[in-house]
Amino acid sequence: MVTGGRTDRALDGRTAIVTGAGQGVGRGIALALAAAGANVVIAARRATTGEPVAEEIRARGDEAVCIETDCTVRADMEACVAATVGRYGALEIVVHNAFKGGRAHRLEDLDLDLWDENSRTAAWASYYSAQIAYPHLAAAGDHGRLILITSPAGVEASVGIPAYGPVKAAQRALAKSLAREWGPLGVTVNCIAPVAETPALAYAFEERPELKTRVEMRTALRRIGDAEADIGGVAVFLASRAGGYVTGQTIVCDGGSFMGL
Amino acid sequence: MDANLFGRVVVVTGGDLPLVAGLAAGLAGSGAIVVTLDADTLGSRPAAEAAFAAVAAEYGAVHGVVHAAVDPIAYERVPMHEVDDARWDAVWEQTLRRALFVLQAGHTQMRSAGGAFVFVGSPVGMAGAAELAPYAAAMEGVRVLAKSAARQWGADGIRVNVLAPAPEHVPAGVASGELALSPPALGGAGDPADDLAPVAAWLLSDDAHFVTGVTVPADGGVWMAG
Repeated sequence: MVTGGRTDRALDGRTAIVTGAGQGVGRGIALALAAAGANVVIAARRATTGEPVAEEIRARGDEAVCIETDCTVRADMEACVAATVGRYGALEIVVHNAFKGGRAHRLEDLDLDLWDENSRTAAWASYYSAQIAYPHLAAAGDHGRLILITSPAGVEASVGIPAYGPVKAAQRALAKSLAREWGPLGVTVNCIAPVAETPALAYAFEERPELKTRVEMRTALRRIGDAEADIGGVAVFLASRAGGYVTGQTIVCDGGSFMGL
Repeated sequence: MDANLFGRVVVVTGGDLPLVAGLAAGLAGSGAIVVTLDADTLGSRPAAEAAFAAVAAEYGAVHGVVHAAVDPIAYERVPMHEVDDARWDAVWEQTLRRALFVLQAGHTQMRSAGGAFVFVGSPVGMAGAAELAPYAAAMEGVRVLAKSAARQWGADGIRVNVLAPAPEHVPAGVASGELALSPPALGGAGDPADDLAPVAAWLLSDDAHFVTGVTVPADGGVWMAG
């Protein structure tokens, strides 16, 4: 089915960058934004994972391109944003999703190598994404959207991965602060805290089959989210006109597990 | 004031802040032996471990830690698009690393006999503030790092909690109104020694032995979001 050329979709004519879109939640969000009409830039650290997602989107008749980008490197993000605006003429939506560093550890044994993976991919890359996209989001005014992908662990921490909660919390505080700072421009800044089927989660379930049952049983809807339908749909909402009065918030999208907000 | 910390050794970081100086004075009034550490002794894990070991050697086993050390650059108000990497590093990265090293060095001292940490949080992190995004990110990072430690170290008899003061105690000069928070129900921002230190002392004392991973807003009734 060819859907290109339609002009009645929520994000027709908008342009979005999604980091870490080569797999998992990032891929799901990229597919959903493209299906809603956006031009989507797959900002993946390796083109070998990002390019197939761009091809998948184009095969559906939607618009996407892969730009190999290490979002923890300022020059890479600058080049990605410049190439995006060069190709599509504007940039209204930035979704920073990329993350690396979720290995289990003891806090007393946490070394700076593992800390840096968490800090660089969640905190530093959020700072780069926000700052480098800023002139374009400001120009987009009330179409401007920054969405940071966080986690329920950013609220209540995680017993197994103590470095993870703090960097995800930082993203929530960034979203609140930038929502206040950029609100006068019309730009919204929000977080999504998802639980979805991803390669990382699939691996964890493979290693510990009892974990899948445990996660499902604590989830009100008794299933693990689908990255495109369940998480991507929330990203489309936040990016669209319908989400235009929601800012500074964390949308917990986990099937009804964490309910502490 | 109750002497509920009588003879207990409490390490306080960030004593150059008026808020923390008041907390330290109040904790001493609760009977604690208060030892202050400068932020420059917390810049690496070996330095922090050495500083804590020196405190234990001179004063006895460390029972409590009040951690508040923040580089004053964190309070400078700068729009996000004007923040540079040196500022982001000083405010986000170094604040988190100092907190991590304080936790790790404190854990080394407390792992056999237990103990308690109190981190001084910030309503700016909890509510967000324009032109203070790096500081807000750092303070929320530290607040959830405290929860991580609370979850893992409860089995070691170590508790970790956060005390959140009123916005007026944040040197950036933010007011509750700017954070879209109501004014304090009890009136005023509170005196660090008289109003906030007893809360820190309670969190450090055995009376709070079943309380960990929480944030207590000692702000006269500003923050009521949970």
